[in-house]
Amino acid sequence: MLVSLVLIVPLLLLSAAGIVMIGGETSRFTRAKAAAYPVGLAFLGAIGVLTLVSSQSPITIRFYDPASVTSFIIPIGFYVDRLSAVMMTLITGVSIIIYCYSTRYMYQDGHARRYLALICLTDFVLICMVSSGNLMMLFLFWQILSYLLYLLAHNHVHPATLTGAFKTFTLLRVADTAFLAGIVLAYQLYGTLEFQELFARAAATPVTISILPGMDVSAATAVTLLLFVGAMGKSAQFPLHLWLPGSLFAPTPVHALLHAGIINAGGFLINRLAPLFGMSSTTLHVAFVIGTLTAVLGATMMLAQNDIKKTLGFSTIGQMGYMIMECGLGAFSLAVFHLIAHGLFKATVFLNCGNIIHKARQEPHFPHVDHAAEEAGFSRLAWSTGFVTTLFIPLLILLVTHGVLRIPLLESQGTVIILFFIWITSSQAILTLIRLRAVASWKVSAIMLLTLLFIVFVYLFAVESFTAFLYPNPEEVASYFRAADLPDWLFDLIVVMAALMTVMGWIYLYMRAHGRTVWIPAWIEGLRIRLFMVFLNRIYADELYQLISSMTAQLIHRLDKLERGWSR
Amino acid sequence: MTDMVIPWVLAGIPFAGALVCLAFGSDPYRVKLCAIGSSVISLAATAVVANRLPIPPDGLLPLYLLPIAAVVATLGQPVHEHHRLAWTLTLIFLGLGMAVLTGGNTFGPLSLIMIMLMIMFLLYRHHTTLWPISWWGIGSFGVGVVGAGLSLVAGPPVSSVASLATCAVLLPLMPLHDGYLTALTRLPGSLPPFIVVLLPVLGLHGLATAMPTMPSEFVAVVSLLALASSLYGAIKALAQSRVRLLVGYGSVSFFSILWWFVAGAHTATPRAAVLAGAVGLATGGLLVAWQVIRTRYGDDVDPQAVSGLAAVMPKYAVLFSLLGLAAMGIPPFGVFAGFMGLLLTAPPSSTIGLFIALTAWLAASWYIMQMVQQLLFGTRRPDLRYADLRHPEFTSLLIVVLALLALGLAPISLYSSNQDPKMTATTEQSLAWNR
Repeated sequence: MLVSLVLIVPLLLLSAAGIVMIGGETSRFTRAKAAAYPVGLAFLGAIGVLTLVSSQSPITIRFYDPASVTSFIIPIGFYVDRLSAVMMTLITGVSIIIYCYSTRYMYQDGHARRYLALICLTDFVLICMVSSGNLMMLFLFWQILSYLLYLLAHNHVHPATLTGAFKTFTLLRVADTAFLAGIVLAYQLYGTLEFQELFARAAATPVTISILPGMDVSAATAVTLLLFVGAMGKSAQFPLHLWLPGSLFAPTPVHALLHAGIINAGGFLINRLAPLFGMSSTTLHVAFVIGTLTAVLGATMMLAQNDIKKTLGFSTIGQMGYMIMECGLGAFSLAVFHLIAHGLFKATVFLNCGNIIHKARQEPHFPHVDHAAEEAGFSRLAWSTGFVTTLFIPLLILLVTHGVLRIPLLESQGTVIILFFIWITSSQAILTLIRLRAVASWKVSAIMLLTLLFIVFVYLFAVESFTAFLYPNPEEVASYFRAADLPDWLFDLIVVMAALMTVMGWIYLYMRAHGRTVWIPAWIEGLRIRLFMVFLNRIYADELYQLISSMTAQLIHRLDKLERGWSR
Repeated sequence: MTDMVIPWVLAGIPFAGALVCLAFGSDPYRVKLCAIGSSVISLAATAVVANRLPIPPDGLLPLYLLPIAAVVATLGQPVHEHHRLAWTLTLIFLGLGMAVLTGGNTFGPLSLIMIMLMIMFLLYRHHTTLWPISWWGIGSFGVGVVGAGLSLVAGPPVSSVASLATCAVLLPLMPLHDGYLTALTRLPGSLPPFIVVLLPVLGLHGLATAMPTMPSEFVAVVSLLALASSLYGAIKALAQSRVRLLVGYGSVSFFSILWWFVAGAHTATPRAAVLAGAVGLATGGLLVAWQVIRTRYGDDVDPQAVSGLAAVMPKYAVLFSLLGLAAMGIPPFGVFAGFMGLLLTAPPSSTIGLFIALTAWLAASWYIMQMVQQLLFGTRRPDLRYADLRHPEFTSLLIVVLALLALGLAPISLYSSNQDPKMTATTEQSLAWNR
């Protein structure tokens, strides 16, 4: 039964695409509505798969002989474990909402039929990708996804959309090439692309390869670094993030799907290959650095944008950086939990975003806020509550994790760093709240405190349960954390910096609220304005990309002219 | 005795078809029908007798691909009296091609010389102001003819080197690629889409025999040349604005990657034939697709002047974009399958070589995607009259797409009885990485 269910889920999505696409113009809307049923059934099927996989062992379906994987260049097979089942449920769940929304949202569009069929086809590809039985099949659907992203830009008459779509496709292809190189290297070194066998062989035969004379790296590091570049592309990590802002001209439901499903592919890939990534501390450290850089840059650029879609786009880049950072710290299950939470949240926001833009066009004053109308003044109570909360909660978390949950927290640096990162972000959130609404009320303070406590404990409980569900063996989880351990000096530096930033933030707020002058050197003030301009212009990355493109084109044409002299 | 007749039958069917075409000379429709019919019969005959033929190192795939390419090239041309000669010549080339693949050590090389001499003659006769006569191209085929002749009369190692030069003309490798490019751009009517499959397939067939006897030092030079050629092809393709040259240089880049693999393995396997055939078919398909545009807007149409076809020519848009995907090596089409098959089964070689091969593969995403985007998307021009594919054009392009899909998805055992290197072999090879 499980086998049939695993096969039915993608087939239902494919049939939905067929229903939308095949038929006359008169029945277009009826067919579009009818196709929602197979998409809905696929969601129910995915829930069924999740339920069954939770109680049974993972399922493997192969339509090829694994002993000779290259007899079929593209070996079609499925491997569904808890991770795949969770992803299948998330994708189909988000898909049914997006599909139903799109049928009405795109009702008057001349190419709605093509658009809806492409949405169903993308869902099909995503489901096949997350349930792939081997690395080659995963790569097959990974690449098809790159092209579908190009097509989903939808309005190919609009020059900016077309430029963005082309940039998306080409940048993703760069990452795909590294992914391909990783697959080739993995096969040449270990002789298999079957997941479990690959992990077993990589663990059993530690190999060192020489990239250049005198430059040796472990095979696991070489393979995982190449695969990680592939993941960087799909998950919009710096400096391969450029395609995401460029693709923002697509209809908003596409972004809901993109930000809730497609962009999570990088996180999924790292989790799918977690045992392999767990063998290379170097790759995990690289992932941590790239992820942190992307999170910081993405979040900062988000703050400087003046366009709702761009703001959301950079918010996603920041969140994806956060997710990759979690992977780099060895918290693989946390990254999956994060991508689910972020996917659901961002899909909702993006689906609403179209209406906001529409409303803003009709009502010129919407969503303008008159800052003069904001409540002025400083509330000592609200400030104290926030201050205590952000200092008290991390302490409480430490006590609870040690005393109640019996987690040896200090043995895993990754968890500590994540907690400190949470500390900074929650402080920043509370700072923002206090700045906007300085309400002096015990009730507000109590609600704020309780809400935070509730969120933190529910989150902790959910993450812990989810980790136990996804990786039932605690030793495996611990081994990933150990593999991701940073050098002691770096760990200490991160912790101290995080603590300093939070405390300094509170001090700054307190002094500003009391009307005291905070002395800041003039050059820092000047730098702040310059930095704002830099981040407003998205660190001029698009201009740099343009410059490199035109310089390459010039060089190519010069070479072409030179060559014409002696040939032809 | 019967087995000895088979090569003659396979070569004879297209020749007989060509004779019938000559008899129908005045009626272009009948000539076209006859050319298609003969190619289909040739394909059916190959399928019937294939199991009785000795299996060459590159497998039997080329024998199936040639008639398919002939059908595609003929179908893609509109019925016009100017195309009668091209259709008849397609059949003659098909017959000669079948003779090269099945004719053995004497009859095969003679047929090959005949093919090259005929192309030289056609290149000498057929040139326009848009595509002037190319002595470089004719000269390249001259080198090929001399090489083939020397390989017949001289002993090793001269015969091997001469044979390799001929292969470099047929399966284009810098600096002998001009013959292939000139044939692709200058030959009339249905010949270019057929020739882009015929020449590489024959070149690979020759390479399968010549490469194992090559001295290692020579193979190293060929490897270097192949890598340089793959980059050269990609750079030239990026610089082109004319579709035929873009497609031609793109295929040179892919064929050079194939040379690198063959040089590394010291032999041409059925996987190499998949890549050669798939690249040839994809290139042929793109040429047929470009022919559709030329039929509507004239031979000298500037691709920059045509845009927005996706909205008004949906059938064309779907098939053309699928062909583009296949040509740039995206799964599940044959080019990807051939490329991936060779990458996975090739012995571990230099990192720089792999990097260059992957760069050339990646570059295809730029120049082919740019071409596809330019034609299909953008603003529709109100002054242009748009007409979607006619049935023969649609069928022709559909056959290419389906053939490329089949090449990508079918198991390699269909084309050859040779077993793949099993995992044990790969594991043994991987020990070379151990330190």
